[in-house]
Formats: sequence, C-alpha cells, structure tokens
Amino acid sequence: MSFFDFQGENLEDERERIRNGGLHENEDVAVYTWGEDSYDGLGDALQEGDDDFNDETFGGPGVVGKDFDFAGQTSLLEPEISQHKTANRAVASPQDLAPVRQAEQHPPVERRAPQSLESIWDDKSPFSVLPRENGGSRFAERERGQPSISQFSPYPESPMLHQAHASQGGARTLQEIEAEMRTAAIQSRNTLQRQQSALRLQQEEEQFLQEQAFQRRRLAAQQQREREREEREMQLQALQRLQQQQVMQMREHTQHQRTPPPRMLPVSQSPRFLDQRQMLLLQQEDQLRLQQELQEQLRMEDLERQLRAQQISQLNQGPIHFNHRRQPSGPTIAELQALQQQQQQQNRRHRSQSPAYQEFNVAQQNIQMQQRLLAELAQAEYLREFQGATQAEQEALRAEAMRKIVEAEKMEDKRRNKAAKIAHMSRYNDLMTQSDKDFITRIQVSQLVTPDPYADDFYAQVYSAIVRSRMGLQMQDERVLKFGSSGGISLGAPQKGPTRRPNAMQRMEQQVERIVSNARRREEEKGLHSLHSLQGALGKTSGRSYKAAPRQLLQVDENPATSPSHAHAHAHISKEDAKEGAATEAAKFSRETLGNGGNVVRKDPLTHRQVLAILEALYDLVLKVEQLRRDRPPQEDEQAGQQWERECNEIVEQLWEGLKVMVPLETSNPHPFVSLLFPSKGKKLLPRLTRHIDQPRMLTLMTLLVACFTQLDVVKQAPLLDSLDDTPEQAEAERQTQAFLTSVLQSILPVVTKLELHYVTALLGLLIERSQDIGALAQTKPGLALLTLFLSRVEVIKQAWGTGADPIDRVSASASLEQWQAVFDQFFALLTPHFLRLFPSSRITLQAHHPASAALAIDIIDQPVWQFLAALALLAVPEQHQVLVTSLRDKVLENVLSANKGWVADEDERRTKLANVNLFLHALGLDSSQITL
Amino acid sequence: MENSSIQEPFDLIRLSLSERVFVKLRGDRELTGILHAYDGHMNLIMSDVEETIMIVDVAEGAPAGQPATVNVAKRKMEMLFVRGDGVILVRLPYCRICRCSCNQVSPPSRT
Repeated sequence: MSFFDFQGENLEDERERIRNGGLHENEDVAVYTWGEDSYDGLGDALQEGDDDFNDETFGGPGVVGKDFDFAGQTSLLEPEISQHKTANRAVASPQDLAPVRQAEQHPPVERRAPQSLESIWDDKSPFSVLPRENGGSRFAERERGQPSISQFSPYPESPMLHQAHASQGGARTLQEIEAEMRTAAIQSRNTLQRQQSALRLQQEEEQFLQEQAFQRRRLAAQQQREREREEREMQLQALQRLQQQQVMQMREHTQHQRTPPPRMLPVSQSPRFLDQRQMLLLQQEDQLRLQQELQEQLRMEDLERQLRAQQISQLNQGPIHFNHRRQPSGPTIAELQALQQQQQQQNRRHRSQSPAYQEFNVAQQNIQMQQRLLAELAQAEYLREFQGATQAEQEALRAEAMRKIVEAEKMEDKRRNKAAKIAHMSRYNDLMTQSDKDFITRIQVSQLVTPDPYADDFYAQVYSAIVRSRMGLQMQDERVLKFGSSGGISLGAPQKGPTRRPNAMQRMEQQVERIVSNARRREEEKGLHSLHSLQGALGKTSGRSYKAAPRQLLQVDENPATSPSHAHAHAHISKEDAKEGAATEAAKFSRETLGNGGNVVRKDPLTHRQVLAILEALYDLVLKVEQLRRDRPPQEDEQAGQQWERECNEIVEQLWEGLKVMVPLETSNPHPFVSLLFPSKGKKLLPRLTRHIDQPRMLTLMTLLVACFTQLDVVKQAPLLDSLDDTPEQAEAERQTQAFLTSVLQSILPVVTKLELHYVTALLGLLIERSQDIGALAQTKPGLALLTLFLSRVEVIKQAWGTGADPIDRVSASASLEQWQAVFDQFFALLTPHFLRLFPSSRITLQAHHPASAALAIDIIDQPVWQFLAALALLAVPEQHQVLVTSLRDKVLENVLSANKGWVADEDERRTKLANVNLFLHALGLDSSQITL
Repeated sequence: MENSSIQEPFDLIRLSLSERVFVKLRGDRELTGILHAYDGHMNLIMSDVEETIMIVDVAEGAPAGQPATVNVAKRKMEMLFVRGDGVILVRLPYCRICRCSCNQVSPPSRT
C-alpha cells in the first residue's frame, strides 16, 4: 500500500538523498539559510510591530487538536482490512482455537469496531462522543472494560496510531513524517503477504473444523438415534400392554404418558398429514385387535427393524439432514395413536390461528411437508403390505388419499392467498400514529360542520326522505347530526342494508362531538383572551411615530346638532323636500278621488323588478316556514311548542302581507297580487305558499283571483296560443299557461272542492261582472279551466243533495239553487254566441307550413272544451240543451264523420275525436253511435 | 322598500332566477334561456337556451374602410352549463311592463 502511487523505493531513495545533503547540490531551488552563518540578514530588515492582534486573528499558539483527523475516521469504514487483520491475529496463535472461532462467529460489523475505537477513545473530538450505528458505542464500552484485547491487533502499531501519538507529541519534522510513511508502506506490503498466507491457513483450518464438527455431530446423532430407538421399544411394549385395555383409557393414558416429540408439532398442523394418519390408524386398530399377540410381537419387531434401516439409509444420504437437525423417522404406533387423539384439538387450534401468524410458518412448513409426505407415502406403502389389506381396499385407500391430498393442497393455496393478501394490506400498518389519524379526521370533520346541516344538504336530505318513504321505512326525519344550536353535520342518504358503515358512523359521531365541544371551548377561551393575547402581537409603535403624524388643523365637532349653520341647512332641505312630497301626494290623491270616486289610493302597478324582489323575499319566507315546520318541537315541550307556533304564525302573517291580497281591488291594474303571478316562479310559488294559509284567507285569495282574472297575463296572452307558429312569445305564453294551470289552479282546487253553492254562485257572478266579456274569457285555457271547475263543483253539490248524502236545510238550499240558476242562465245566455269559438280547432287555421301532427294536437287541445261543454250540459235545463245541440251540431257531426270515414291520420286521432264527442253527448244522454250520417 | 333585499350585484341576478335572461359571452356569443342557478363565479345553469354566435369575416387584404361580413349562427340547447369566466353580462331580455321585446342588441361592430 502506498500513498498517491508513490513507490516505496522512491521514497526511500529520496530520503537517502536528503539525508546525504544532496539537495544542496542538485536542486535548482532558492535556498533559505535563516539562522546559519551565511544568513544574509534580510530577515532583520522586516518591519516588526503591530503584531499585537496576530494571535487573535490567526489563532493562538495553543495545542493543535486532532479534530482534523478525518483519515482516521474514514478508515473505520474499511471492514475488509480489519477482517484480514483479525485473520492475522488467528495466525499468530494457531494453537488456540477458541479465539479464532469466536472471531469467526462475530459478524464483521463487530469485528471492525475495536481498532477504530482504539484511536477514538483517547481523543476528545466530538466524533468520539457521537453514537455510531451498528451498536458501535455499545461495543466500545465493552472494549474499554478490556483494553488488553487491543494487544491482539495484528499491527504492533497501526498507521493511525502513529498519527495519534505524533499529534500529541507536538510538531514533527518532515523527516519524521516521511519515515513514518515509509514504514507504513512497508508494513502494508507485509500485511498483504501475510493476509494471503493467512487466508490460505484460514481455509485449511475451516475445513478441519468443519470435519471435526461433522464428526462430532454424527456422534451426537448416533447417540440420539440410540436413545430414540430405546424409547420406541419402550413405547411399543407399553402399547402392547395397553391394547388389552379399553380404547378410551388407552388413549388418555398414552396422551398422558408422553407428549409428542417437538418435531411433530409444526407438521401435525397440516391437515393433510392428519387425515392420512387418521385413515391408516383406523385400519390399524381394527387389524391389531384381530391379531394375536405373538404375531403382533413379530411384526412389530419387523417394523422396528425396517424403520431403523430406513433411518440409517436416510442418515447416509448426505449432510443435508444435519442442517435440518431432524431425523425423519417413521412414526411409531404409539405416536400415531397419540396423534389421533390430538387431532381434533390441533385442528381447532389450527383454525383458530390467525392467518398472519400462519404466514410465517408457510415457507418452513412447505419444505417440511414435502419431506414428510414422501416419508409418509413410503410408510403407507409398507404399512399396507404388512396389514395384508386386499387390493381393492388399497386402491380405494390410495384414491382417497390422493383426493385428500388434493383437497388439502387447495386449502393450503387458499390459505396462503389469504395470508398473502392480508400481509399485502398490512404493509402500511402503523405508519400513522393515532394522533396523526385524529388530526386528519379533525380537519375533515371541520370541513363538514355547518351551522345549518339540513339546508346545506337539502337535496340529499329530501331525496333520502323520498327514498325512505318509497321503501316504506319510517326512520328519523332528518339524517343530520346536531350539536346544540351551533351546527351539525349532514349524513346524506341512508345506507342500504347493514354494512360496516353504521359502526364507523357511530365512531365518527363520537369523534365529531368531541371535536366540536373542544372547538367551542377553545372559542370561548379565545373570546376571553383575544384582546389581551393579540395586543402588541405585531410589535409596538415607537413613541416617535405619532409625533410625526400631521397636526390636526380642522377641529370639526362630532355632533352636527350643535353646529347651528349645518343644522339650519339640513332643516331647510328637509323642509323643502317635505313640501314637494306633500304637493305631489295631494295631487295624486285628488286624481284618485276624481277618477274612482272611492277613497282608494291609486298606485302604479308594481314594476317587474319590484315583483321579482317581492317574490324572492316571499321565497325566503316560504323556505323559512318550511324549515320551521320540519323543526317542530316535540309534543311534550309545551313552551317550545308555543314559541314555535308563534314563529310560524308570524312568518305566515308576513307571507300573507307579502302576497298583497288585502290591497284594495282598485289600487292598480293589474292588481299587485296579479302582478306577483306574472313570472312563472310567482305562479309556482303559490301552491307552496297556500299550504300555510288557512281556509278563510284562501277564500279571499280566490275571490281576488276571480275578480282580477282578466288582468292575468295568461288570459291576456291567450290569443297567442291560437297560433301554430313557433315564436318565442308563443312558447313563453305556453310555458306560463302550463305553469298557471298546474300551479295556481292546483292551489285553489282544494278551496273550490269545499265551496258552498252560494259561494260558487257569487264567484261566477263576480267573474261575469268583472270580465265584461265572458265569452272571450271562456276562450282562454285558464278561464275555461276555472269555469269547468265551478260547474263541476255545482254538479257535485247537486248530486250530494240529490242522494241525501249531504243533510241540508231545504229552504236555504232551494234559495241558493234559485240564485245559482239565475246566474247560470245569465252565463249561458252570454256564452251562447261563442260556443263554436270556444274550440281552439275553430280558431286555429291550419296552414300549409304547419306539420301534419298539428291536426292531432288540435284535437287534444279541444279536449278541455268538450269537458267544459259536458259540464255545462249537465247543469243545463232542456231548453238550453236544445241551444247547445243546435250550436254544436256541426262540430259534432264533423268530428264523427271524419272519425267514421277515416279522414284521420291514424287510429289515435280517430279515437280522440270520438272520445271528445262522446264526452259531450253522454252528458246529454246521447252517444256518437246513435248519430246516423 | 322592495329594494332593501338588494345589497350586492348578485342579488340582481337572483331576481332573475327561473326567468328568461339574456347572457352575453366572450367570443361574440349570446345566450337567451331560463336561468336556474348561478354561483359566485357567474357559472350559470340555463335551460331552453338559444345561443347566437356572431362570426365576423374580414376579407383578406380588404381595405380598412370595408365593412366586415357578419354571419350569425344559432343553436338550441335544452340544458346548458355556462362557465362563469366567459360571462360578460346577464340581464332580463325584455321588460315586462311595456311587453316589448327589447332584445335588440347591436351586434359588435368590428371594422
């Protein structure tokens, strides 16, 4: 070994030359002769002084530390060298085998520790204090306790030690260093040689040792075999004795007598092994009982011999068996029986073992099992022979055995797969601590908590409620977790069927509750300390800064009331304002009174934006009241119930106010309430809203609606629908009409169905009076629908009276009937000229560019008209029937004709036409089939 | 009194919920449809939408004074999600009071 590829010889030569003073002659180098006689004294010319702080600047002349000894540190990491060194040590004392073996048994990690610590212990550098990996520090303490071990070091003095000593001895000359380097080089060369020879020696020695150990082990094995044979013989004798006793006793006894040898345990866990054994044993028992003792004895001895032969042959197969340290001998009879008894128990144990635990044994077991199986097969063969079983039995046995083996293998595979899966999944077990998990859960949960869990998860909640009602389940109404009044978590849709979830849910609930309570407590604490804790958190302003701020020049009084001029100005403006306002108000008022003769304050109709704003406010109220209805307090809590009742009523009151039903009829045209029904969302709001309004108010609402019916947009725009042209306006009108029919009329339907006859009479009268042209109104879809509603209600009332289902006061009933008939007659008379015009099909003219399907659509939109006419016919007196028939004769005939003559596109249209006509004719007591053409 | 509920611009859009609105989009596109939902990014969900796309064709090498030809493409969609970053304005298409369709939006003139 040489430094930087310098050859040892060269160094040697160099040194020789230097020693001989050859340097002076040969080298063309400036030579400094400071301190000699020939010194030129230039050094004295140096300017001395101002050196006072030199030490401070460049470091004092203190003792040089060894902290720079990095070479010594890095050499620690060369296990190769140290290994060879230890080997050399063994060479030094070949007679003493013990230390060598000890050294061999040490792992290399430990072996390199001593020499490294040798140099480290005596220095005070921080490196020596730091703990090192591989348990070096632990070893070091042991080393300190026995410093004499270092004497075993192959080097009398290692290069490192040289350095260590040298650095302690103060400064050294270059010569000394060179000498050291040289010796080190020589030593390393020597070491290499020595290492090689040592290696050789070591190998030889190891061979020798192996042989020795081998022989020793063989001896031990032989002894063990002897012992086992004796044991087996004893067992056999015991068995023979026991066979005369009862089976149960015998089993207990043998189990007591001897526990199975330890090697049986892992193997006997294999079900394959046990099954086979059990089978064989059953046969054996039967046969053994039958045979005489003498024969038995003979056979046993025979078996014994063969077993022994088998063992010996196995032993001689090679050193592999030594590695296993197990002698695969065949089981004795006693062993087998003992096994049989244990089988049940062990099977149970086998199953109860966790798969993870089994996984550890799998590899080992596999090897063992293979060997064992081979041995078993051989034994089974033999046993069959000596049992003298028939050929068929043997075959059956073999097949059974094979089947069992395959089964067991399958089971084994399955088990292994399962264990592998579990092992795969458990790779990341315990990566996170419980507090980590808690932390993450806290973050997740904090995102879930909301002040109003139901509203925030509204759609999921409603959906889940629908799903639940469809499934017929009656669970709690809301799937939310609530924490007092401050917030909660929505749980979303319900789970289907029992899963692992409920458990997790519960855990989450608990955790969330804990977190929320913690957060609340923290909030309170923060509330207490927030002012103090945050004061000065950003640092304090220095005293100077406020002085630097500009001086306030204007002194404005904070209270303007005290400033006379300002107050005066303000008062002046407000006064003028008021005057102006009053003037306009007065003018308006006079206009109103002049125009209407009533004392109603006329106003401009609501602007579209006002309508929308009011509607939004109403929607807010509706949502609020709906939420409130869901949050109904339990029955037993009366005070909360009253409070809840009050809140509900208050909101309903606001709703009623917002609807502006009570605003006088003449206030504006359209009436504010009708204005609210303009947008489709206004129409859609009504059914949601009327649910909360009581019957009398609904009656008022309906009266207003009837009174203002002609003001409705759907009535005004109805002519638009009599066109088949597809314009945006028409589509909009269609949409609005649909919304009106499905929403507004639906919401008043429950009111109409409970109306008394005189109310219906009054409403119809009102409608006729207010609408000026009832014929035109009847030509609109909403109008027709409303009229049909009234007429059918009257018909229902009449029927109820006729059947006596409704006990009534005859006098008042006949009075209201009279009233009704009067109004109805008026209505009929007004309507008569319009009968044909009622049909959209009469109003609509089919044009060439319209699609063919429009014809069928016409029949469909005619349907409500036929319904209305049927209702009219039911209520009409015979003279009116006459009028009806003559008016509608053409229409009826046209429909029947086109249906019968096949002037229709398809069967559907024909049927629709006939159904329409029949609807009307049935009301008159006729049928379309009676019409002859 | 009614306007007390309007505190921020989005309240005005809220008034237009379930109303037919006119939406101007970047890229010379316009929409009319019924507004169902919106959010703070002006993402909109609309139904019954008609989209109008202005395609301005400037002839190659044409003199600066020559007006570009504007083609209008239209398409209809039943339900549409509009990403908010393209929305320039949202308004009601026509006023209810006068029942007029004030839907005359001057097409962007690019010359």
